[in-house]
Amino acid sequence: MAIAPSRRVVWKEAEGLPPVRASRLTGAWRRLARNKLALVGSLVALLYVLIGLIGPFFAPYDYAEQDLLAASQPPLSDGHLLGTDQLGRDMLSRLVVGIRISLLVGFGVTLISLVVGTLAGAVAAYYRGWVDTFISGVVELTWGFPLILIAVILAGAMGPGLPATVLAVGLINWAGFARIVRGEVLHLREAEYVQAARALGVGDRRILARHVMPNVLAPALVMASYYVALAIIVEAGLSFIGMGAQPPLPSLGVMIAEGRNYMLLNHWVTTIPGLAIVAVVLGLNLLGDGLRDILDPRLRSG
Amino acid sequence: MGAYLARRGLRMMVIMLLASIAVFYSLRFAPGDPSGVVLNPLALEEVREAYREQLGLNQPIVVQYFVYVSNLARGELGTSLVTGKSITDLLASHGTNSLILGLSAVGLSYLIGLPLGVLAAAKRNSAVDQVAMGVGIVGMGMPNFWLALLLIYLFSSKLHWLPSAGCCGAKHLIMPTLVLAAEGTAVTMRMMRSSMLEHLGQDFVRTHRAKGLSEWTIVGGRVFRNALIPIVSLSGLRIGWLIGYTLVVETIFNWPGVGYLLVDAVLRRDYPVVQFFSLLLVFTVVVANLLADLVYGLVDPRIRHA
Repeated sequence: MAIAPSRRVVWKEAEGLPPVRASRLTGAWRRLARNKLALVGSLVALLYVLIGLIGPFFAPYDYAEQDLLAASQPPLSDGHLLGTDQLGRDMLSRLVVGIRISLLVGFGVTLISLVVGTLAGAVAAYYRGWVDTFISGVVELTWGFPLILIAVILAGAMGPGLPATVLAVGLINWAGFARIVRGEVLHLREAEYVQAARALGVGDRRILARHVMPNVLAPALVMASYYVALAIIVEAGLSFIGMGAQPPLPSLGVMIAEGRNYMLLNHWVTTIPGLAIVAVVLGLNLLGDGLRDILDPRLRSG
Repeated sequence: MGAYLARRGLRMMVIMLLASIAVFYSLRFAPGDPSGVVLNPLALEEVREAYREQLGLNQPIVVQYFVYVSNLARGELGTSLVTGKSITDLLASHGTNSLILGLSAVGLSYLIGLPLGVLAAAKRNSAVDQVAMGVGIVGMGMPNFWLALLLIYLFSSKLHWLPSAGCCGAKHLIMPTLVLAAEGTAVTMRMMRSSMLEHLGQDFVRTHRAKGLSEWTIVGGRVFRNALIPIVSLSGLRIGWLIGYTLVVETIFNWPGVGYLLVDAVLRRDYPVVQFFSLLLVFTVVVANLLADLVYGLVDPRIRHA
């Protein structure tokens, strides 16, 4: 009977705790804060979103404005915090617009594919039958197809430019979300606690909102942070080889490509946008690793 | 197995048919037409019309498509509009170059990624593990074109050891291979590490240890073989992505392979070349996925294709 008192103590403590929902959320935040790398990653992502949203409004110059008399100024020179490129265009003004383009392709398109993919996956798993066969067939074809190849083929058809890149990212990435959500929903609808909720007479909508969606969103969010990073890399790479954004639009890839020939003399023209890409991609990957550890213990590696 | 193969083969043919129709139609609707590429901008409208007629561009698209497919079936691949070279010749020379680059990159990424992953898992949390994880994070986060620029800056501009671009000596191959292999190495290493860790925690490992097998036999033999399975199952995807990255890397280093050719043809609106090589690469990706699925079944006896 030695166990009984301590049990009562635990019971008492449990009564004093805040409602389960709040504790689950604060628990997640606490784990995020403890995971240093994930914290850094989310701060970097947040910083980029801020820069992308409001940065261009505070840009000191127009991104395409040339000033040949002030060409190739190093960073920290008069009136140009990050210097100027070989045509005298202000690097800082170009960088914030470049980051906005990266975010548009990264976050914007990923958000749309997340919504479309989640819906498609949930519908396939919910209705099953021929709907599922059809959606799964399309997903299997699309999922994992090399994004860059599709983007270049689309650039061939539509002419090189951002629309081709955006379309390619959207066309491919929704399938990744659909795949993971479908599997998760199929698994969850048979889960015992969902059956139990149904047996208790809980409505479909409430089951979906309270029991299915939170569990589906966790892996989808982890995937999203990797996909944003991937989209940013692909956009920059395509723009670098002339298949994506076209000059004078200062996509980070375009900036690097234009500075490439001056690398030995004014390295900052390539270094600054290069570091900007590396930082955001590293940040997002760390965030993804951290989110995976926090939200989805089954995917935890090592 | 036979039924499975037949089903997969049929599906592959449907994919290729759809892909060819999609590529063909979208290129016909592309802005600008070949007469604007090849002819003098000042050429008369009659000359342009004659040129279009010569290429068969004034026929209905459906007819054009069937002409194209029947030519393809007879092995007549056409010629480049810009250079006038036959696509068969281009395929031979550029295809070989791409194969050389692709195979060396795949080889290098497995040669480094697999042992490093095994070592990191076996010596978990040691210095080796930390280094490996660092390599993994940087390798995945570093855009390949940026890595290429850094290498060119170091080895070509500063040290003058390697040529910054071109073909086809061994020295020309080094940097493109490194860049193309970087991401694959990081992914392989990370996957191998987590797969090894997963298997090292299983009961059969404890049994082997209890039997007194050496750690080397357990890790290198028993666990390694099991841990390879997810690597194999994802190799089809990896090859697809490698083909995508080839487009970027070949363009940066002016390596005259299929990727370089395709990007160049897109920029110059060389439609016959774009059409053929897009389809060729799509085909390669689809075949690679099929092969990976089949090999997966061979390595893992638990997976039988019914």
